Amino acid sequence: MMKLDNKCNEVIEFTKKLCEKLRNGEILSSTEAAFTVLDVLVRASEVCKTHYNEYLIVWLPKILRSRPTSQLLINSLRQFLHQYIHIARCKGLDEALSNVKGIVQSIKEGIDKEVALIALIGSRRIIDGDVILTHSFSKTLIEVFRRARDEGIKFSVYVTESRPIGEGLITASTLAKLRIKTTLIIDSAVRYVMKRVTKVFIGADAIATNGAVVNKIGTSAIALAAKESRVRVYVTASTRKFSFETVFGELVEGPVLNNPDAIIPKEWLNKLSSRVRTKAPLFDVTPPEYIDAIITEVGLLAPQAIPILIKEVYGWPPKIIDINELINEVKDLD
Amino acid sequence: MTKVYIPKEVIEIRDHIRTMKIRGAGAIACAGAKALAIAAEKYVGNDVNEFIKYIEYVANYVRSARPTAVSLPNALMYVMNRLRKSRVKSVNEAVKIIVDSANEFINYSLNAIKIIGELGANRIEHGDVIMTHCHSTAALSVIITAYRQGKVSKVFVKETRPRMQGLITAKALVDEGLDVTLIPDSAVRYYMRKVNKVVVGADTIAANGAVVNKIGTSMVALAAKEARVRVYVAAETYKFSPLTLIGELVPIEIRDPTEVVSPEWLKENPTVEIFNPVFDVTPPEYIDAIITEKGVIPPQAAILILTEEYGLSVKEIAELSGKVEVSIEED
Repeated sequence: MMKLDNKCNEVIEFTKKLCEKLRNGEILSSTEAAFTVLDVLVRASEVCKTHYNEYLIVWLPKILRSRPTSQLLINSLRQFLHQYIHIARCKGLDEALSNVKGIVQSIKEGIDKEVALIALIGSRRIIDGDVILTHSFSKTLIEVFRRARDEGIKFSVYVTESRPIGEGLITASTLAKLRIKTTLIIDSAVRYVMKRVTKVFIGADAIATNGAVVNKIGTSAIALAAKESRVRVYVTASTRKFSFETVFGELVEGPVLNNPDAIIPKEWLNKLSSRVRTKAPLFDVTPPEYIDAIITEVGLLAPQAIPILIKEVYGWPPKIIDINELINEVKDLD
Repeated sequence: MTKVYIPKEVIEIRDHIRTMKIRGAGAIACAGAKALAIAAEKYVGNDVNEFIKYIEYVANYVRSARPTAVSLPNALMYVMNRLRKSRVKSVNEAVKIIVDSANEFINYSLNAIKIIGELGANRIEHGDVIMTHCHSTAALSVIITAYRQGKVSKVFVKETRPRMQGLITAKALVDEGLDVTLIPDSAVRYYMRKVNKVVVGADTIAANGAVVNKIGTSMVALAAKEARVRVYVAAETYKFSPLTLIGELVPIEIRDPTEVVSPEWLKENPTVEIFNPVFDVTPPEYIDAIITEKGVIPPQAAILILTEEYGLSVKEIAELSGKVEVSIEED
């Protein structure tokens, strides 16, 4: 095994913990997940130096497996590897290493720009008097609501607590601090309040080619209840969240928490933990027919039109390289 | 009446219903009947008219504990009706009627659960995977009876926030040896495709067959309808609401925010409103059948239970409600 100095070991320890946080849903928004991973890649490039490629080869697959639903993460890492390998091949490893920070910076700037554009387009869909229902925590959605508020639009938001993680509380708290009228409800109350709601806004972890939306568990039930009540459902997602793999038939599979304490409170653990199974899937899939529009940085479109957009931006079939192949290419760099 | 002495046991029962120490529509109904029996037995005095006023006062007092479940007023009505119809002459006689009818109601209730279990189990097929919500003695009776007949392969139990009654259900089922999977409420649609049948209880059933039950039930029913999974509601006939027959709405109880978030969180986020309704209404078209101790009926036949089995006419119901004045011409 390679010998590493302490600082590099620290980054590896940090990465190990990061994988755990990605897996158990502790890192809430997929944007946050992508940014945290990109940042650790920079840190590793600074301290692991000659062992950096080894770091990438060992840890990138683990990071990806920790949050397989996050398309933003997959696509950002694909972009990173593509550029990194390109520089390494043309200008050598040292040059590539010193460019890591710059590559990451440009990817992050790109993501920020897309969020701002989505916020602009999304906010135009909110009108005075709207009662919006949202689920889970999405950085992009917070920006949409902030933008609408800045435009002086008067609207209120229902937020589900979003079990099993409960990140809806963070959304509620954040919106209330933006002085947006906010009401927190339990997940079970979505159908009850739907008759008061005028629009549903949700984020996305990934969008499949057929327009199906992978997002935090509970989203598909909300979309179903919205359809029943003829309430429109909007999904915000940059084109970076498109799952190109699904063009080729891949399924998106989400992690399921099996640990009893994900659901069972402490005082009940003794009575139940070894006797009942607990299953807390973190993501679900909302079929395209329950979604009225997907708001991307290049415009608002029907979920069924996703292939057209993919063709416009990436060609058809989209020319993408399997991320595992890119990781293999890193192996050949030395 | 000047000052009414209410026995401390009765105050305690009402308190336990209010704070949900006694919970579940069936248990609340039995507790209500028992409270009347205790109040009657503890009564001191000889004037039978005073006694009737007193016991009516106690009945109103107990009734006000929680607004939504109709089983409580129905249980009280069951007992009080027998007193009203019997034209008693002495306090002793009146006390006996109250105590006897209360016991009669409690026995009836226990027996009803058994019959519902047997009738409901007929609807469960070999290898069925069942989903249930909250904690319902009647629904449990169906699932457990079917399991003992070797039919149930697995049960998905929803945690049922905010009070987590799903844990009570999960424990009751594993104690019987069933294979139980506990899931968060948000995963209802995710797991529905693995389910064959939904079995839930009810707090109140309206005249049109709409089912008022723990918040989240209507979402389960909607997800079931989407997945073509059958939905059965297990409910004793005293959960049917006579007042809905004359157009009354079932009031939905809204409970305290601290059931959902901690007091500390509330303090940190004073501008976030917490909306915590306890029940929701599942429309009859999402329900395949209601399993009562008087038979398995389509929800649209709720009217049958209210008029035929209950033995009450619309006019009688209106009179009993005391709130509504209706004049119905009789032949």
